[in-house]
Amino acid sequence: MDNPILKIENLSKRYGKNLVLEDISFEVEKGEFLSLLGPSGCGKTTILRLIIGIEKASSGRIYKFGEDISDLSPMKRNIGIVFQNYSLFPNMNVYQNIAYALKSRKLPNEEIDEKVREIIDIVELNEHVNKKPVNLSGGQQQRVAIARTLVLNPDIILFDEPMSALDADIKVVLRNQLKEIQKKLNMTMIYVTHDQEEAFALSDRVMVLNDCRIMQLDTPYNLYHKPANEFVKKFIVNHLDMKVKSIEDCINGQ
Amino acid sequence: MANNKFRFAGFIRHEYLRFIAIACIILFAIMPLIYLVFNTSGNDLSYVFSDDNFKLSLGNSALYSLASSIVTTILAITAAYFLNTSSIKHKNVFVTVLTLGMLVPTLSIGLGIRTLFGRNGFIDSLFGVEIEGIGFLGLIFGSVISAFPMTFLIIYDALKYENKGPYDTAEIMGISRASTFIKLTLPYLKVAIISAFFASFTWIFSDYGIPMELAGKVQTLPMYLYNQVLSSYQYGRGAIAGLFLLIPAVVSFLFDLFFHDTSSTEKQKKLLSVSKLFNIITIFIVVLVSLFLFIPQFSFISLTFIKSYPNDMSFSFDNITNMFSNTYGLGIGQYVVNSLVIALLTGLLGTVFAYFLGYMSVRKTGKLGKFINLMSISTIAIPGLVLGIGYMLLFKNTTGFFYGTVIILVFVNMFHFLGSPYIMAKNCLTKINKDYEIIGETLGISKFKVLLNVLIPNSVTTLIEMFSYFFLNSMITISAVAFLCTYSNQPLAILINSYEKTSNYEMQGAISVLILLINVIARVILNVTSNAVKKKQKKEADSIMELSLYQFELLTFLEKNGKNRYSQRHLSDTLTLSLGTVNKLLNQVFDLGYAELDDNNNLSLTDKGLKALEQYRVRKAIILAAGFGQRLAPVSLNTPKPLVIVNGVRIIETLIKALLAKGIESIYIVRGYKKEQFDELLEKYPTIKFIDNDEFNVTNNISSLVKCVDLIDRCYICEADLVIKNPDIIRKYEYKTNYLGARVNETDDWCFKRVGGYLSNYERGGEDCYQAYGISYWDQEDSEKLKADLIKVYNSRAGKENLWEFVPLKICRKNYHVEVRTIHKSDIAEIDTFEELISVDPSYESYPGHEEFETKFSKN
Repeated sequence: MDNPILKIENLSKRYGKNLVLEDISFEVEKGEFLSLLGPSGCGKTTILRLIIGIEKASSGRIYKFGEDISDLSPMKRNIGIVFQNYSLFPNMNVYQNIAYALKSRKLPNEEIDEKVREIIDIVELNEHVNKKPVNLSGGQQQRVAIARTLVLNPDIILFDEPMSALDADIKVVLRNQLKEIQKKLNMTMIYVTHDQEEAFALSDRVMVLNDCRIMQLDTPYNLYHKPANEFVKKFIVNHLDMKVKSIEDCINGQ
Repeated sequence: MANNKFRFAGFIRHEYLRFIAIACIILFAIMPLIYLVFNTSGNDLSYVFSDDNFKLSLGNSALYSLASSIVTTILAITAAYFLNTSSIKHKNVFVTVLTLGMLVPTLSIGLGIRTLFGRNGFIDSLFGVEIEGIGFLGLIFGSVISAFPMTFLIIYDALKYENKGPYDTAEIMGISRASTFIKLTLPYLKVAIISAFFASFTWIFSDYGIPMELAGKVQTLPMYLYNQVLSSYQYGRGAIAGLFLLIPAVVSFLFDLFFHDTSSTEKQKKLLSVSKLFNIITIFIVVLVSLFLFIPQFSFISLTFIKSYPNDMSFSFDNITNMFSNTYGLGIGQYVVNSLVIALLTGLLGTVFAYFLGYMSVRKTGKLGKFINLMSISTIAIPGLVLGIGYMLLFKNTTGFFYGTVIILVFVNMFHFLGSPYIMAKNCLTKINKDYEIIGETLGISKFKVLLNVLIPNSVTTLIEMFSYFFLNSMITISAVAFLCTYSNQPLAILINSYEKTSNYEMQGAISVLILLINVIARVILNVTSNAVKKKQKKEADSIMELSLYQFELLTFLEKNGKNRYSQRHLSDTLTLSLGTVNKLLNQVFDLGYAELDDNNNLSLTDKGLKALEQYRVRKAIILAAGFGQRLAPVSLNTPKPLVIVNGVRIIETLIKALLAKGIESIYIVRGYKKEQFDELLEKYPTIKFIDNDEFNVTNNISSLVKCVDLIDRCYICEADLVIKNPDIIRKYEYKTNYLGARVNETDDWCFKRVGGYLSNYERGGEDCYQAYGISYWDQEDSEKLKADLIKVYNSRAGKENLWEFVPLKICRKNYHVEVRTIHKSDIAEIDTFEELISVDPSYESYPGHEEFETKFSKN
């Protein structure tokens, strides 16, 4: 591993006197699925915003393939992002939403069409090509948002709590689809969530954050079996144990 | 090519567009005022301050403006309060009628009043009664009518956003409407009322249309200014008077700035119950006010069809024909064209500019945005007269290409009326998802393109509204343009002014009618366009329609049982429908796209079908668990009945589990007796929410439901002491309001009959009837009714002693059609007495204190 796809070095961010991130460093390998997990206000979304370039770090550097991208505009970073509220363009249908970025790059129409159709296939939205976002379910909208990013073939895709607005059952389905897409395209993904289960189900590695700092960055297995500190133990181990217990209760109760 | 585009995209990203925005406002709105100040010499100053006419004018203006705005505000509060509180239909129509005055120049309003009440006016010549309509009384009369629409709208809008929750609570507590008006409405409206008062004062104080027609011998400040400038050519003196006009405007502006209403921007729902009498009073008041407001319109419309006022009052079309043949040498057509050109150009340019300002102030971060916002809003404070003189002084050296052309008229209107459309644009752009630009940036789409392809298409109705504001106001304004227009580019409204000088009243009337007509047509066209856009958007949004009962049953069946090869015979048996009906039904749902067959004849629900079902999804459950459960003593002495453990499970848990299993996660438990014990449920079911009813021991269970009356909406209402044996009696979707019942031969419990599928004869004890089980579902329509009826009954005498279900099933039963949903007696076990508990769960035989209690109980 000579060059990791993403390398974060001593990243800090403060708003005035308010410290929101303190000295964060980590690396992400190509094709890896990394989750940032933590209670609200721990700084996980801020990390995403810094990586994508919507906000500038107070100190620290960000490297992609070894190249310093800290001062590049979001447009030049070739990193995609998917938000919790989907943010689809409401006046465009599914096809137009996905094709919009390619159109504005003045690609030939045939090429655009080919790429869009290919992506629509991958996210399984073939039947909904002509629908406007209002006529799609939450899960479908989120798939359009993912497709819109995928079509540009970014180096990394970031997800900002993309499923927290969805129903529990749809979440599981979409989660599996996402994992499948990631494997199929060998895509690097960084995923922000506050849901332990979701992080564990999806990730190769999970970064647990609290109070603007990294508590532990490890595989789900190690987080559960070798929690590095009291917080991780409480936040991960106890929580999952409780879930298991309540499932057992349910079974026994019936 | 592509290079050019990108340069422009880069251009918009940088700050200089914001500087251009600021520069425009400074040049066309601020500079004229500054110039005005610099144009006053010491001579002018001493002249004006020693001029008795000026002092007199200032005093008079302040006096009648104060009196008129007090009357206007009171009238506006009355009309707005009644209209907003009432539950009458077509409120929009009433609002339109009440604000019709906004479509004519103030000159026309003044004209109408003078021809009615003035010397030789209609009333004078018809009845020989001379009312002193000119002078102070006339000024007040006219000012109230002209300022009413704006004042009314400020208060009415504020009321629309008031949270109605406290009123429902007050109603529950039995507090009268009059008292809530004083204790709730007035304090809430405080800011809006003061703001409306200032706005109306400013408007009246700086308007010269009404004084020109109605002042008579009373000297007023706007007329003083007007005469100094247009009759004596004393610009400096006019400017000083203009600065005085600015004072109330600035005060009003500062007030709005500091006390800007930051409360809810969501329209609030209606009150639960409004009496018929209140509605009748409302209609009476609104009609009365409308008639009052319509007096001038009526008068100048009549004037148009009179041969020669006031000498020959016979009916004639002469004025109309004269108008077309020769009007001030140009013919009316030219003036109509002038007006339309000015109004259309102002509408277009103004809308573009105001939207641009809105974009610059809210869609970008940074302090400059706030500055643009402040400057744009501040233009509201500049009176037209003042702006007009300012333009005249500042731009008089630009004769030929700006001054003296139509362009300057368009610009002065644009900046005069900029404030309100700017706020519309700003509000609209604030509401549009703020992530679009960020998303665009990460996708490599420029901000300019996002503006063009996403923001503008989503602002169409607001853009129409903004255009409408500019257009209508440009059609009626006389203040700023009076100083700037030339003989050949005069708009219609100024023409009224010209005819005033020659005392040609009929022509003034005719032109007023013409303006009214044009504005009504414009308003109708714009409204129709706007509604068409809204309708189209709405149509796109709800292409899903209501389901028929059979469709509903088929879709819920598919939702529950999943994709499979169902034979029509099987469906016919399970849904208890004839084969023919099933066949028809399947064709229907295929056509509608709710279900589909795959190549292997597997039948399944589509996404659209799922979405169609969604409207019938049970949203929540309210469990009434406050009571004491006396008959279950001694167990209930220590534990509330719902928490009693039967065969290892708490009674209430059987219900909670059944609800959760069907995806009903919003569960509200109303608790009272030993309420703290319920907390332990949270460990297992963290999503449960509790509502406390501490009056459980002095009222019946209606009080528990009233405690959470706002929650009633597409929900189950359940008793807490039912042991659910068959969890499928709780369903994910419900079609209509229903109540659970099991067929029995005889019972001494509460029971009902079933007539035509609906519940009737709810009473205690009966034969060959349905025994009632305390689980019912309330659909959207019935939920609304139930809320209102519960409150009404609860407030009535002895209302608190009712069981809640008496309200829909007995007391107000005419309002509801409650279907009977039949279950088997074995689906639910009711444990009413301790003996029954022992028979279900023998472990209670050894319950401590059982025997002791028995003996005590039998002694009593």
